Amino acid sequence: MKKLLVAVALAALLLASCGGGAGGKPKIGVAIYKFDDTFMSYVRNAISDNAKDKAELEIVDSQNAQPTQNEQVDAFLSKNMKAIAINPVDRTAAAAIIEKAKAKKTPVVFFNREPLPEDMQSWDKVYYVGAKAEQSGTMQGEIVVEYWKAHPEADKNKDGKIQYIMLKGEPGHQDAELRTQYSIKAVTDAGIEVDKLAEDTAYWDRPKAFDKMKAFLAAYGDKIEVVFCNNDDMALGAIEALKSDGYFDGKKQIAVVGVDATAPALQAVEEGTLLGTVLNDAKNQGKATFDLSYALAKNQDVTKAGWEITDGKYVWVPYQKVTKDNYTQFK
Amino acid sequence: MTEKNAQGDTLTRSQARNKKSKEFALNNAIYIVFMILVLGITIQEPSFLAWRNLRNIMSMSATRIIIAMGIGGILITGGTDLSAGRQVGLAAVVASSLLQYQDYARRMYPGMSDLPIWLPIVIAIVVCGLIGLINGAIIAYLKVPPFIATLGTQVATYGITSIYFDRPPYGAQPIGGLRKDLTTLGSGYLGLDGTYSIPYIVLIALGIAAIVWLMHNKTRFGKNIYAIGGNSEAAKVSGVPVQKTLLIVYCFAGALYGLAGTLEAARTGGATNNYGNGYELDAIAACVVGGVSTSGGIGTVPGMVIGVLIFSIISYGLTFINMNPYWQQIIKGVIIVSAVALDARKYLTKR
Repeated sequence: MKKLLVAVALAALLLASCGGGAGGKPKIGVAIYKFDDTFMSYVRNAISDNAKDKAELEIVDSQNAQPTQNEQVDAFLSKNMKAIAINPVDRTAAAAIIEKAKAKKTPVVFFNREPLPEDMQSWDKVYYVGAKAEQSGTMQGEIVVEYWKAHPEADKNKDGKIQYIMLKGEPGHQDAELRTQYSIKAVTDAGIEVDKLAEDTAYWDRPKAFDKMKAFLAAYGDKIEVVFCNNDDMALGAIEALKSDGYFDGKKQIAVVGVDATAPALQAVEEGTLLGTVLNDAKNQGKATFDLSYALAKNQDVTKAGWEITDGKYVWVPYQKVTKDNYTQFK
Repeated sequence: MTEKNAQGDTLTRSQARNKKSKEFALNNAIYIVFMILVLGITIQEPSFLAWRNLRNIMSMSATRIIIAMGIGGILITGGTDLSAGRQVGLAAVVASSLLQYQDYARRMYPGMSDLPIWLPIVIAIVVCGLIGLINGAIIAYLKVPPFIATLGTQVATYGITSIYFDRPPYGAQPIGGLRKDLTTLGSGYLGLDGTYSIPYIVLIALGIAAIVWLMHNKTRFGKNIYAIGGNSEAAKVSGVPVQKTLLIVYCFAGALYGLAGTLEAARTGGATNNYGNGYELDAIAACVVGGVSTSGGIGTVPGMVIGVLIFSIISYGLTFINMNPYWQQIIKGVIIVSAVALDARKYLTKR
């Protein structure tokens, strides 16, 4: 009996703290694939910053599990949210989410992970906000090409080719595959030949990248001329390993590039350890996601939400290159 | 370890001989597989047998050894600890947030003056020690099975870490700009000479292993944890303070995760709330491969250290020869399963 009372009291408390509807603000449900992804935290913060005084948000953590997210979407719909913004765990799962939303006539804005084109076409109240992943790879490649041309000493063995290491994100992740492919494509398109010394996955993770880089340094040493990393956390892990191997102390230099422009990465650019990174513009992705969801929730014209809409469904937020020349703008 | 397992033989001589050679192969299967792997890696890339690689493997094992020392004691009592990894993450975030250098642009505590380096480390150790104490209390007094109890604290600890990590002024930023004294602790060497040097963290890990060895083998507390793991009821009847011992085991393990988390941040020069994710499974796998029984009562400190080293050598070695990452996963999986299969067999023969 006591237990029951405690449980009831707890439940009441939870309900009281979650409830409390506000007057004219539309309710918007937001699901993030997982809260511990650094980049998605920026997007999440941007969404809530933009929603201040305008809408009532409910942001949930899908804990990297699509079934969890589907349940959360069901909950949003049964709470009569005016619009939902979904960052899918699995991009192929969008079809099921669209079907649910369509049945309740609730518009959906997907963001950061792009659903398949045929799913996007299945209903007219479906939108997508994101960046073109290949662009981030291309920009990494361009940063390296620029450096390579300006610094002949970067070609350590003077063979005219770039010997590189590639540290990839989670295998099969769309961003990881595209960044890997397009960063190298940008280099070869600029007429520079490449030799891949090694390619391995460090799962976007700094400690894993650190350990992998240690092994690569032992295996290839000074043969390595450029280290491409699919994100900044891995780039910083690689830099830490390089530091412990005597790089960046004034004599030995090496080009490391990442993606995301996180705060520690900008610091590394300033210190001269990270050659460059590419900003996946979280602020604007968050803003675009919110602006679109808000317009949809208010039943307003989305084309007037302040963003250019491609093919009636897509908002592409561009990436930006960050190097020693411009990093101060991003701090 | 092998001698211990051969003790139970009560068969006729010819059968026994046959069985013994079989037993030997089975009991040492994991080491035989491991030797084949090292041999394979070395044939592929003869430079693998260099001091530098050994040093790298040792320094990558250091934090894992410290974690295994904590979780190993728990496994010996017949328990388990799923919250280890998340505690490592909490410690990494707490310690590094308090040890950022002054002119780093995005400090978590912008106005704070420099603390002496030991203080944040002690704070991290105490915080995780408290979580361990909570684990112990839930298990010893509320009688919640360890798997469930620590599953709960795993999830909750991650929540605590994230709340601490994701807040103003800069919310959910990876913590960077660690002070030089901390990163030196993580990646500095005690140089014997240019080539032969030993990383500080390896010395720390060996020190911890020595202390834990003494605790397990030379103290009443050590005898008690084996007794509890062997048969909790019998231990209780013979006067072992079961609840108090469990409390200490989990609390001590938490303190070790706190130290390991701090060193993990120091070693890699930063931290996020996702640090340590899944480390408990790596540590449990390493302990099991090193001969610790998940059903309790069996396990040695040197075994745990060897278990960790085996995993580090495999993961480092396979990266070194640039083996396809998918195959790396398969090999690790096979090794874990075969070790657990052996563990189950040992448990059966023990009966």
